[in-house]
Amino acid sequence: MIRLIPHLVAKDLKRKVRAPLGLLIVLGFPVVFAGMIALAFGRGGDAIPKVRLLVANEDDGLLGSALASAFTAPQAARAFEARAVTPEEGRQLMEQGKASALLSVPKRFTRDVLDGKPVALRLVRNPSEGILPEIAEQTAGILVDVLEGGRRVLDEPLAKLRPMLDDAGGAPSDADVAAVALVVKRAIEKSGGLVFPPAITLESEMLGNRAPAADAGKKPGGTTSTIFLLILPGVAVYAIFLVGDQAMRDVMTERALGTLRRQLAGPVTVGTYVVGKAAATAVLCLLALAVLTLVGMVALRQPVSLPAFVVVSLALVLAITGTSALIYGLARTERQASTLSSLIYLAMAFVGGSFFRLEGLPTILRRVAPFTPFYWATQAYREILEKGAGLSGVAMHAAILAAIGTTFLTLGTVALHRASRRGAAA
Amino acid sequence: MIEATGLVKSFGSLRAVDGVGFQVQKGELYGLLGPNGAGKTTTMSMLAGLLAPDEGQIRFDGVDLAVRPLEVKRQLGVVPQEPALYETLSARENLRFWGGLYGLAGRELGAAVDRVLELVGLADRASEPIRGYSGGMKRRLNLALGLVHGPRVVLMDEPTVGIDPQARLKILEAVKGVTASGTTVIYTTHYLEEAEELCDRIAIMDHGKILAEGTLDELIRRVGGRELVTVRGAFSPDALRGVVASLPGVAVTTEEPGRIVLTVDRTGRGVVEVLGQILGAGLDLQGVSVQPPSLNMLFLNLTGRELRD
Repeated sequence: MIRLIPHLVAKDLKRKVRAPLGLLIVLGFPVVFAGMIALAFGRGGDAIPKVRLLVANEDDGLLGSALASAFTAPQAARAFEARAVTPEEGRQLMEQGKASALLSVPKRFTRDVLDGKPVALRLVRNPSEGILPEIAEQTAGILVDVLEGGRRVLDEPLAKLRPMLDDAGGAPSDADVAAVALVVKRAIEKSGGLVFPPAITLESEMLGNRAPAADAGKKPGGTTSTIFLLILPGVAVYAIFLVGDQAMRDVMTERALGTLRRQLAGPVTVGTYVVGKAAATAVLCLLALAVLTLVGMVALRQPVSLPAFVVVSLALVLAITGTSALIYGLARTERQASTLSSLIYLAMAFVGGSFFRLEGLPTILRRVAPFTPFYWATQAYREILEKGAGLSGVAMHAAILAAIGTTFLTLGTVALHRASRRGAAA
Repeated sequence: MIEATGLVKSFGSLRAVDGVGFQVQKGELYGLLGPNGAGKTTTMSMLAGLLAPDEGQIRFDGVDLAVRPLEVKRQLGVVPQEPALYETLSARENLRFWGGLYGLAGRELGAAVDRVLELVGLADRASEPIRGYSGGMKRRLNLALGLVHGPRVVLMDEPTVGIDPQARLKILEAVKGVTASGTTVIYTTHYLEEAEELCDRIAIMDHGKILAEGTLDELIRRVGGRELVTVRGAFSPDALRGVVASLPGVAVTTEEPGRIVLTVDRTGRGVVEVLGQILGAGLDLQGVSVQPPSLNMLFLNLTGRELRD
């Protein structure tokens, strides 16, 4: 049996090499995906590009000015390049594609807010700038929420303030000013934690949700792309699962070709055949991982713990091989297997946080996430890449992945054994 | 060398093989002849160890296939009905893979590959990916894959189905070459001519049973020296039946509008006398064909229908 397995694996690899298009698509998927991300965010090694935001403020009140200045505040300035424009100038610059988004603050904005009237801020986004306009939209939305919250919390002091802002109201007395100041102070003290600066800084959390520890060890203007770093591990895990799926699908192909029957009529037992397919799947996954690692090294130029990376990768390959063996063992036809694997991998990647940060997912999904290998693999790579975790930092992740892989591979081997017998007898 | 006894295999309510048993001697080419659905392929699948019989036993040189399958399978070569090949690989790569499975390596493997490529006439195209091969070439390679490791026994399941006459001829020549080297072959076919031309002994199968078995001469003798006479004309079957009913040694086996098949005993009045009676009765006779005793005739006698039906 042992003698035959390398022979079977070599044959499968040779077949993949002889059909280079399929192999390139399979191995190139992670590279292409990573490349697309790099293109969307500029050069892979650069920091996130800034959102070029135009602010057309037609309001002559305090809130309009406050809103516009929020984007130039030191914290916001790391992500925004805000510029005050007239509405006409803003439209022209947008049409020329020279900005990510145009935020328009309407006339009488401050007064309408103070009067409790419904007001709307308008944001025009540039569709050719990928995710950047989305950042502007989310940030503007947060600011609007803050303003709305502030208006509700400060309802009483605002009522007192309104005559002072009104031209017809005349100059307020010292006592009025002192009274308003006192009410404002107390209201803010009560709700300061809700409305003050932390809400404004949400834009960096929403975009990157980058753990503080990741920032701590980096120099200002570091060489890694935050977004690239954030997205790469999850996408890579998903891509390698697809590679494994492609490789294990050969079980169905061989059944259709009749070569499964022919091998089993020879000196190949069903067990040898199944182990051979699992080994070929594992080898192809390792190849894909190597390609992806190379891309990651070039793009991120970030030192990582090699033992941690290798252990997690091996455990991941075991998990992928086991999962694909189980799926193809349970499926009756190639079509059924293909549909089943697509649905399962997509769902697990979504729930497991491969596509979206877990923090952005509903609580129920976050509770389900640890039941997927995607979760443990994605989290492990993030620990290694973002926090510089070593072997001890990802030992649990790797152990759980290996446990999942071993369990699935055992069940999958039994299922494949039965399926292959059926296929041989058909 | 090969002994199959009381083989039974059912699929649900269908009894595909029903008590089949035979013995094949070393170096013999044994044919299983029968129409589609006769149970030939199921029998071959059991012989190849791909299907476990519900009942019965298969022994190769006294070794029970069910007890020591790998030991038996290492001595077997299998040529399936449909070519089972890796289309992205070349003929040589396919052969090297299958030869390697049986433990061949290095020069021994290279020599074995060259030998079978010559045998099936593919040596000059051996390095091309086989997806560019014609159907006949794929069938020849399919045969070569079953022979590359030099098996003692080869199971060939209708290896010439659906190919052109030229490719068929090459395959038949290759099969003759295999048996000439002392290899034992079990060969299934539904072509009478192939069975007659190739096989040392033939088993006629239908509905999962062996109806008759023996050498070609033995089987034809079972027909009893009868000739098959097909009569065509514009007459009613009843009229003809009335004419031949009184003739000894003549029997109607098949009747269709305008066509009747008779068996005529060569030792009796003979075909000429029968035709004289028909013409004498004034029946509108338009054509007559006479076949000497054959396997088809035996099949007709045994089953009441022709093998080609």
